[in-house]
Amino acid sequence: MPQHLKRLIGVFAVFIILFLILHYLLTPSSFGELGHYRAKAIPENAFKELHYAGSEQCSKCHEDIRKDKAIGFHAKLKCEVCHGPGLKHALYAGQFKAGQLPDSLLLYKPAERKDCAICHQFNAARLKIQFDTINTSMIHQINAIEHNPFDKITKVEFKCIECHNPHQP
Amino acid sequence: MEQHLQDLYEVLSKVDGYVYPNEIELNWSILIVLYPYITGLVAGAFILASLERIFKVHILKPTYGIALLTAFSFMLVATMPLISHLGKPFRAYEIMITPHSSSAMAIFGFVYLWYLMVVLLLEIWFDYRRDMIIWAQETTGVKRFLYRVLSLWTTDISPKAVALDNRIGYIVTVIGIPSAFLLHGYVGFIFGSIKANPWWSTVLMPVIFLFSAIVSGIALVMLIYILLTKVRKLKIDMECLDTIAKYLFYILIIDFVLEGLDQIHRIYEAEESFEVLHKLVFGKLFFTLFFMQGLFGTILPLLTLGTFQFYKPKEKIRKIIYLAISALILIGVFFMRWNVVIGGQLFSKSFYGYTSFKTGMIGSEGYLMAAVWLIVPFIILSFLLWLLPPWKKKEELPETQGL
Repeated sequence: MPQHLKRLIGVFAVFIILFLILHYLLTPSSFGELGHYRAKAIPENAFKELHYAGSEQCSKCHEDIRKDKAIGFHAKLKCEVCHGPGLKHALYAGQFKAGQLPDSLLLYKPAERKDCAICHQFNAARLKIQFDTINTSMIHQINAIEHNPFDKITKVEFKCIECHNPHQP
Repeated sequence: MEQHLQDLYEVLSKVDGYVYPNEIELNWSILIVLYPYITGLVAGAFILASLERIFKVHILKPTYGIALLTAFSFMLVATMPLISHLGKPFRAYEIMITPHSSSAMAIFGFVYLWYLMVVLLLEIWFDYRRDMIIWAQETTGVKRFLYRVLSLWTTDISPKAVALDNRIGYIVTVIGIPSAFLLHGYVGFIFGSIKANPWWSTVLMPVIFLFSAIVSGIALVMLIYILLTKVRKLKIDMECLDTIAKYLFYILIIDFVLEGLDQIHRIYEAEESFEVLHKLVFGKLFFTLFFMQGLFGTILPLLTLGTFQFYKPKEKIRKIIYLAISALILIGVFFMRWNVVIGGQLFSKSFYGYTSFKTGMIGSEGYLMAAVWLIVPFIILSFLLWLLPPWKKKEELPETQGL
């Protein structure tokens, strides 16, 4: 074989060996153990800090509200959708008397018109509720600005929850 | 509440009709337009080079070296628009380290590597090895050192060795033609295989991309050849230019017919997406499709090049027209990529609405960034033409010309 071909093959061999070395060094250690991904990604994500407790935890103390909610339009809605993540609350609130919870353990109580509007503000893209069905996957849509905005006599802004029980609207 | 509505109003002012929330902003902008464009220029320039080498169109000899170096310069930059589009560009190498066989983009990395290393690099090396050894003897300093390194410190320029170089170069070019088809067909495949998008999803997409790529590559080499002879103050080889124009004309016809066929097929089939695409074509894409791509990029060059097959004006006029035509084709093919990439994202996959697109001047997705990736290949090409000038290649002895 001529000298120049030998050298060229040598250069390609070096390139391929370099690629294989880089491939070896750069492939994450647990890659491919369970599938085409890093197996260690699972424990890494599993050990991330938890924030949500789940509705079952809420009903341990707030059974009355669970019962209220179970028969209304919001039956399928999980508590933390409106009240925010509540793991700390679920773990530690039991150690305090009612009404004496420190601020860090208090959950959000959505009471303003804007809170309800997040879901109920009119949106042409959403499925519209049909009044002859009780299909809870559809959402009641209102215009949050025009829908009973304020008391006609006192001119004070109405809150949604003054007329609608949020747990059983 | 008011702020919330204000934000919503601003977002929705970009939208006509109904679009899904994730369709309002275009994720693939001008850099993704450049990627198929630059890759296409590579494939096209290489096909022109192979016309001379494989198909023995020896009249194209003056453009052979330019075409190869142009293909190589653009190939080096072809992935850069993609990488600069990434949010985490420094993780781009992972596509090569842990590729998944079901990922079209991951396999593209290897198609690209194959084409760059095994086709372009090898062909240029075998083509220039003898000259680099001769130039190393004639020059001094850094240039001499570069020639030595690039020729891998080899010294054998015996007729036997050069004949072997020619033979291997020929084989590499033979492998290179299907590889060039694969490279650019693959880019079309990446778009054509997205079945959720009716503007992209057609089996003709790889073929259309391929032929428009060949058109743009030939036009680019034509433009560079005309400008280069002007800069070097040499007399242009009109016979060579006329032959390039002839091939450009033939391939432009195929490209035009294929794109027309695709549209006729779409119109006759009139699937449920037809109405939204019809409005897209006559609305947001009207200017870029009918004027930039259609009229200026295809019809005008087609008519001019077609006329030249029967009637040839004076050389001076012909040269200027060829220059203008090649520039028009380059612009036209750019807008073809634009219409595919941007057009495919302007309508909602619900078929009920449209979003709009505006690119800024600065920023990682702006016009300036795109301009950089279009200018860099020319800088690389200038360097390569300085280092490996095709016009300074020594004539080979007849017995070494081999195949």
